[in-house]
Amino acid sequence: MNLSNHTLTNIQRFFVYLFLAVLVVITLIPVWLLIVNATRSTLEIQQGISLLPSKYLMTNYRILLSKGLDLPLGFMNSLTIAVLTTVITVYFSMLTAYGLVVYNFKGRKTLYNLMLVLVMIPMQLSIIGFYQWMSKLGLTDSYASLILPGIASAGSVFFAKQYLESIMIQDLIDAGRIDGASELSIFHKIMLPIAVPGMFTLGIFAFVASWNNFFNAFILITTRNKYTLPMLIQTLRGDVYRHEYGAIYLGLAASVVPIIIIYFLFSRYIVNGISMGAVKE
Amino acid sequence: MFKKLKYDHYGYLFVAPFIIGFLIFGLYPVLNTVFLSFTNRTLMSRTYDITWFKNFQLLFADKTFITAVTNTWELWLMNFIPQMGIAFLLSVLFTNLRLKIKGVGVWRMIFYMPNLMMASAIAALFFSLFSYYGPVNQFIVRSGFVAEAIDFIRKPAWMRGLVVFIQWWMWFGQTTILLMAAMTAIPVSLYEAALVDGAGSLQMFWHITLPLIKPVMIYILVTSLVGGMQMFDIPYLLTDGRGSPGNSILTNTINMYMKFHSSKGHIGAASAVGLVVFLMTSIVALLIFFLLREKHDEPVKNGNREMKR
Amino acid sequence: MKRLLVLLSMLLVVSMLLSACGAPAAEPPAVEEPAAEEPAAEEPAAEEPAAEEPAATEKTVLDVWSFTNEILTMAVAFEKTHPDVDVVYTMIPMTNGEYQTKLMATLGTDEVPDVVALEAAFVKSYVESDFLADIGDLQHYADELEMYPFVYEVGMADGVHKAYAYQATPGALFYRRSLAKEYFGTDDPVEMQELLGDFDKYIAAAEVIKEKSGGDTYMVSSNGDFMNLFYANREQPWVVDGKLTVDPMVERMVETVKLFRDNGYESRATQWQEGWFAGMNDTLADAAGNPKKVFSYFLPTWGLPYVLEPNSTSADGSSTTKGDWAVIEGPLPYQWGGTWLGVMDETDKMDLAKEFIRFCTLDEENLTNWATGVYTNEYLKAIDPNVPDDQYQAAGDFVGSQVVVEKITASFDDSAMSEFLGGQNSYGGFAAAAPSVNARLMQGSDDAITRALNDPLNSYLEGTVTLDEMWDLWKDAVRNEFPDLIID
Repeated sequence: MNLSNHTLTNIQRFFVYLFLAVLVVITLIPVWLLIVNATRSTLEIQQGISLLPSKYLMTNYRILLSKGLDLPLGFMNSLTIAVLTTVITVYFSMLTAYGLVVYNFKGRKTLYNLMLVLVMIPMQLSIIGFYQWMSKLGLTDSYASLILPGIASAGSVFFAKQYLESIMIQDLIDAGRIDGASELSIFHKIMLPIAVPGMFTLGIFAFVASWNNFFNAFILITTRNKYTLPMLIQTLRGDVYRHEYGAIYLGLAASVVPIIIIYFLFSRYIVNGISMGAVKE
Repeated sequence: MFKKLKYDHYGYLFVAPFIIGFLIFGLYPVLNTVFLSFTNRTLMSRTYDITWFKNFQLLFADKTFITAVTNTWELWLMNFIPQMGIAFLLSVLFTNLRLKIKGVGVWRMIFYMPNLMMASAIAALFFSLFSYYGPVNQFIVRSGFVAEAIDFIRKPAWMRGLVVFIQWWMWFGQTTILLMAAMTAIPVSLYEAALVDGAGSLQMFWHITLPLIKPVMIYILVTSLVGGMQMFDIPYLLTDGRGSPGNSILTNTINMYMKFHSSKGHIGAASAVGLVVFLMTSIVALLIFFLLREKHDEPVKNGNREMKR
Repeated sequence: MKRLLVLLSMLLVVSMLLSACGAPAAEPPAVEEPAAEEPAAEEPAAEEPAAEEPAATEKTVLDVWSFTNEILTMAVAFEKTHPDVDVVYTMIPMTNGEYQTKLMATLGTDEVPDVVALEAAFVKSYVESDFLADIGDLQHYADELEMYPFVYEVGMADGVHKAYAYQATPGALFYRRSLAKEYFGTDDPVEMQELLGDFDKYIAAAEVIKEKSGGDTYMVSSNGDFMNLFYANREQPWVVDGKLTVDPMVERMVETVKLFRDNGYESRATQWQEGWFAGMNDTLADAAGNPKKVFSYFLPTWGLPYVLEPNSTSADGSSTTKGDWAVIEGPLPYQWGGTWLGVMDETDKMDLAKEFIRFCTLDEENLTNWATGVYTNEYLKAIDPNVPDDQYQAAGDFVGSQVVVEKITASFDDSAMSEFLGGQNSYGGFAAAAPSVNARLMQGSDDAITRALNDPLNSYLEGTVTLDEMWDLWKDAVRNEFPDLIID
């Protein structure tokens, strides 16, 4: 009896692995094509697609350099913005969500509902208004206009609230109060440490969103040595009549690899064991 | 109880930064947009008038707007349903104790990778793949599946399919991560108790798993809806930025972008589109919340950690 | 504490509402401090080797925005003759409309540049707008240099000059010599021009080629190639007194395009995609792998060095059509693309900005140097060592001044481009085409209106809509983008 159960499970597992393998192929082929294109010359790319890499990697790299693109600088810029945005977003979202979850103050529900509604404002439109407003505030061409809005990220607060609701332990808070700790230090010393897995998940999503966000940075930043990596890559498309596609793809590949590495490093902190539901018993 | 009341006003302290941040960075653009939607302002001229509801009148009489709205809904649903489907399937498979799939972390990481790609690169890539002289055509003709090359780019059904596929490809990994997070949180003891009571896998799924991951599902549903209503990058970059062929992949945001990007920069009309989309999304989202809400909604004292103790 | 917060928030909201209401009134142009900006990639021009450099005179900064790096070359050359000016050059690509979006966002604010480059697709809408300054006092330079009328006409609105260009971009027809010999018995440009001198003749020639080649050679690669020709030869503009008007030439274009598609005269390639390029180097093959050839391409002046020549050899080097081309005016005159320069009204450096434009577009020496390849990388680096390694201007760009063109045409007799054209002087070819081009009907809304036609036209060619439906679809699309336009 046990044996046949075992075999059944194994057969099922086989099919599952097969399914997963097919899914992986579908998932990775476009990524692979992109990376392959980074090794091909512009002419080759203009004239077709290939699954096999070619030999123009160094040529493309030299083209990138010859265009005066300071890739390391762009990379550092992107990194700075992304890291700061992530830290600010995660911290303030947790802070706000904590406030919403732990304290029952007047207007709490209204505020929360308002926040949900805020999530729904289309971004492409408000960008011009945002730019003109930043211009009035004198914040154009500065990273502040990209990073500080993270303080009020409705979507992240939404996520954080769901998360905190499920891991909250009132007794710990009460214990902290008995010990005479201030509310803020309870937040910092007791709740945040427990919330680390959720923070990492939120952090990764925020980091990726910031890293890939080309449009906002592009409208707000003008000075070239403040350009982010995606912006620098876009300048390669500036020669209207002769796109250096090989170099462009190399740049694209270069901007994806760091995130993949970061994700790899931090992926073990996320997700497993975090609770998102509220179990009422 | 008494103690709690004393501390409640601290809530204001905690949410203050958010409110201030929003007032500084978020409010102006929103008010600006609302104001503009009642004017005929264009970016290329210095003067403008307030035209009240004219923009909205024109909008609702405009076939293109209606097309954009229906397209956006259709494209979103066609992408979202399979996305949830696969994400569910994967989450269930990965968290299934009996199957014990190995290397879950690696699989998950691979499936999340498309989310890291830049939309412009992917769109350009797929466009090359499916162009009239591109590799897909070469393959299907030479292997005899079809007699003549198919002009995919000019066929609405194919382009919609591509948009839907790419959106699905980019997001199913993230959805899986979120669903898995929710599922792994459910205490095993619940399932064990159910097994003792003689429940089958389907029943356990229906009565234990689903209800307990409801908050996450709501989150996924709403954020996907909002993102879907604003779908822009992929349909814009895939063809010519106008929703070709035949307006088949024209979405709300592309429509809006076309208005304000046109030679005169009709920002008043564009704002009107933005406002209407916003209202539409809010109504649907609030409806979702209302229909799926928990019966009680006070601040939670002791989540399910209590159970684990 | 709570009350304070609420009060603060209300103050913020009120102040924002007030400032929002303040927006409509014209903003007084802010006075910019001169050298306040950080120098981007540019460093001040080479310092004099004098001992203690007083550095008392701060350089005046001129903000120039463009969407390619072409004008950077001229900016560097400008610094040579104007050593007290620091040109801060910002390049923003326009592949997906980023340049236009960014520019539009800055209109009316302080962030606006002094000098702005404008591409053909959107130059007219800026010229027609309130934001470009009147630079008509430069017109006498244009007259002296005999600038081609269509070049400065584009930069005019209501009789006011607002933009000038250094290039002229007349269009021409490039054909394959070997195929011409095969199907028409001659490859001589004069005779070919006779043969293809108007569109009826062109269509007739297409039939000949199809018959004689058994359908293996296409007259043209893509319909898109010749649509420009029809648009450029209308009698009426698209918008007359606020009403959308369809000139008969446009209807004729639609008929011709349908004819070409139905009869298989074009290869159904999309411009700027693989198929289009493949025809340039003879690697075009249909999906089943049968080789096909393309007889002619419609390209403007810049199409030769930037599109045709580089793609005339396949990527693996196995197939090339170098030397097998020739250029003629073609059935109809037209123009395609081009870059204009204008001054933003908000600038506080009006004279300097105008001087910059005069230098770039209306200075005989600069134009001559530009067209004859004097601006090599070494030359530029001597002025400013920070110039990127690939920054240079190759010889051959067709400039807008007839005086200069006549002066230098002969110098191209043995150029690389002439070799490419089997010995024909490319410059001379363009010079012949330029005078007949007319841009008087150009309007700012042209680009959007013609683009709106592409998709319905394709559906019509596919057979999924009828002709009448096509026009309706197009009108809907135009209505969508231009709510103010009267359309019946």
